[in-house]
Amino acid sequence: MRAERPLLRIGEYLVGRACQQLPRRIREQRYQEWVAELPVILHDPQIGPAPRRVVRMLGYAADTVRGAALAHARAHARWTAVYCLLLVAALAVVVWSIVVIVGAPGDLLNYVRLAWGVLLAAFPLSMLMRSAWRVSRLIANGATCVGVAVNIWVAAQSPADWVNYVGAALLFLLLLATLIFGWVRSQETRTRQARR
Amino acid sequence: MTGPLERVLGAFLADTAAPRYGYDLMKAARLPSGTLYPLLARLEKQRLVESAWDTPEEQGQRPRRYYRLTGEGSRVARLELAEASARRRRAPARAGRPARESPG
Repeated sequence: MRAERPLLRIGEYLVGRACQQLPRRIREQRYQEWVAELPVILHDPQIGPAPRRVVRMLGYAADTVRGAALAHARAHARWTAVYCLLLVAALAVVVWSIVVIVGAPGDLLNYVRLAWGVLLAAFPLSMLMRSAWRVSRLIANGATCVGVAVNIWVAAQSPADWVNYVGAALLFLLLLATLIFGWVRSQETRTRQARR
Repeated sequence: MTGPLERVLGAFLADTAAPRYGYDLMKAARLPSGTLYPLLARLEKQRLVESAWDTPEEQGQRPRRYYRLTGEGSRVARLELAEASARRRRAPARAGRPARESPG
């Protein structure tokens, strides 16, 4: 079949995406199992002409993504709900920032607030899409940094309002906690790898 | 018992001795991969199905994983399918039964 290799690559990519959502201990095994079926489907004479076999093979690979996503959502229903709530809140911040920008386009703070909202929305999205932990952590740290900047900025504009100081301090503590947690986790991973 | 489970068990029982690959089961049970594999994982966890890897006949081929009903799985599958079939037989009979006349 023409373009067999690239087509199989697409299938393998989809299966890889599906396996990203599975627990680490079974990920490799499932990947090997599902990927082994791709060439079999692509050469199955019972399916019919080549285009139909290609569609079937890609459908098979795409459906593993659906199945794995459903299984993952079922297993982590509580966290999925938390991330969905976070996403809704962040989108509200984005919409509100846009509305404020339209009202006062000259104020730079509103643009920074919009950037904060976008980063806040990106974090739950990255968690829901099971991006690499490094990416999610980078987004979370970025969002926290921008949040601290926004709060300090607002505090500078109205020094009498103590809420802004508390907000900035809380976000700063959150950033510190995330960085410490990330460092401890990376140390643990390094120790585990060294033991192997 | 759900419809997909019934179809998978039916596919297994069609030939209990034969090892079935995921794709074969998909065709036999007419289920998409995203439904079939979680089901197989569940059956394997319940020890009703066992799996193993075959060695590829040709060089360059990937090893495939096949599934087979365990002894217990075979027994449970027969029982479940018989019950499901009996339920189906009873259901239309109940629906066709004339309604009781109300007194008075």
